[in-house]
Amino acid sequence: MTNLGSAMANRSGAQRPNGTQGKICQFKLVLLGESAVGKSSLVLRFVKGQFHEYQESTIGAAFLTQTVCLDDTTVKFEIWDTAGQERYHSLAPMYYRGAQAAIVVYDITNQDTFGRAKTWVKELQRQASPNIVIALAGNKADLANKRMVEYDEARGYAEENGLLFMETSAKTAMNVNDIFLAIAKKLPKNEQVAGAGTSGQGRRLVESEGQQKAPGNCCK
Amino acid sequence: MASSRFSKVDEYGFERPDDFDYETYEDFMSQYLTVLAKRAKKWAELIGEGKSLKRSLKVKTYVRKGIPGEHRGFVWLTVSGAEALREEWGSDFYQKLLSGPMNQDIVDIVKTDLPRTFPDNIFFSAGASHQQQLYNILVAYAHDNHQVGYCQGLNYIAGLLLLVTKSEDMTFWLLKVLVEHILPNYYTRTMDGVITDIEVLEELVRLKVPEVHQHVSSIGLPWAVVTTKWFICLFAEVLPVETVLRIWDCLFYEGSKIIFRVCLTLIKRNKVSLLQCNDFSSLAECFKEITRDSLVIQCHDFMQSIFKAPGSLSQSTILKLRRRLAQQRKNHTVQ
Repeated sequence: MTNLGSAMANRSGAQRPNGTQGKICQFKLVLLGESAVGKSSLVLRFVKGQFHEYQESTIGAAFLTQTVCLDDTTVKFEIWDTAGQERYHSLAPMYYRGAQAAIVVYDITNQDTFGRAKTWVKELQRQASPNIVIALAGNKADLANKRMVEYDEARGYAEENGLLFMETSAKTAMNVNDIFLAIAKKLPKNEQVAGAGTSGQGRRLVESEGQQKAPGNCCK
Repeated sequence: MASSRFSKVDEYGFERPDDFDYETYEDFMSQYLTVLAKRAKKWAELIGEGKSLKRSLKVKTYVRKGIPGEHRGFVWLTVSGAEALREEWGSDFYQKLLSGPMNQDIVDIVKTDLPRTFPDNIFFSAGASHQQQLYNILVAYAHDNHQVGYCQGLNYIAGLLLLVTKSEDMTFWLLKVLVEHILPNYYTRTMDGVITDIEVLEELVRLKVPEVHQHVSSIGLPWAVVTTKWFICLFAEVLPVETVLRIWDCLFYEGSKIIFRVCLTLIKRNKVSLLQCNDFSSLAECFKEITRDSLVIQCHDFMQSIFKAPGSLSQSTILKLRRRLAQQRKNHTVQ
């Protein structure tokens, strides 16, 4: 069992004496968005590489961890996957409080979910940590024939608000690792890494994912 | 374990997970079957041949030791007051609700959750009859109770009630009695009742298992993060199904204090493991682990321990805490 320190005090990375591993950083990431847009499916794809056509609805929140490697830095995500239904909203601040990153998810086949995503972004900008890295994910990109939210519209909105943006598909795995990696790169302690970051580097990181599940990052 | 005499699907239609611990389960079942046989005989004597069932100390004791599966729906309906409610509102009330006009928003949200309710249960798979029945129950209830409408989580409760009773009508009344009589405002639009009860639990942990309370606070894990689902789903999708049903036996008879007994027992009996977790992730993970270990699989022992491990816990203590904490929160919001 690794002891990476309290999640509440993890903004800066702890130096590991282990020379090959380099720096280890731990970040709290929260997923927000309307019910059934695919929040849990994105997490399941990212953490376990799986997809279920019918993912059980999340009650309260689910907690998972996954580790990615960025050059000499190991980034451990503590992922909080939340319930989407409006009435669970009053519980949400507990989950995004202290989060360094958020993925706000909408469903590209449902315009209402995009509106709801914008509301989440506004709330995060007002109430979450001022330096929070926010990514907007237009999920279910595999259902492009049922598209109701244009790519350019969402990209424009993301640019105006300084958000990372990708269309994703938990079903086909499109851009799922990429969006988490993009967040990892943008997180504050990674500035020197992000400066050197290229798309080529990102791909290499995705390919090495198998090795990222190194022993020691599992809490069981 | 291929040699297991237990199939991949349990008696309620749930597919057992790949990592299902057949060994622990077989050990448990070899003893539990004897318990079940004994209880079946006792219950047959109690309610057999047209005998009526009334709340009494004897029945309460019987309920604590487990209601046989074939009698569960009937006994739940009787001891909880759901049957009385049904007589009061009329036995065709549910059917009338179903034939009334439907709100499209409610229809849509319920439909979204249908295939996402127990997808690993053979009775809820696409085309199986329970999906349509669950739809009817949830939509009817949402139209009956406008304050609640449809709250995610009710799908699991109604779904499990349906698996037990095999009856839409019975499930509807049991759902109604739970939401409106047994649980205080858990599923309303602000979910105030759940938020209060999580605070009540935190206070009870502080009083009864102070080391754990101190430890969890120092790590900074909010109790709601761990326990929201425990309260909302009444342990469905949290604990093993047989254990959940044994809990519900007592819940329908004794009321919502049973939920606190279960929470406190889980926390108290796993005190050592919880105190060993030194960071946020491992503590959160440990709270998941303690809902799946052999302690909770052995439902008969577990149910005996919920009446011992937490010590005394009266309904009036809980009511007082609820009032105090709800008032504190209200004052806090006003300020």
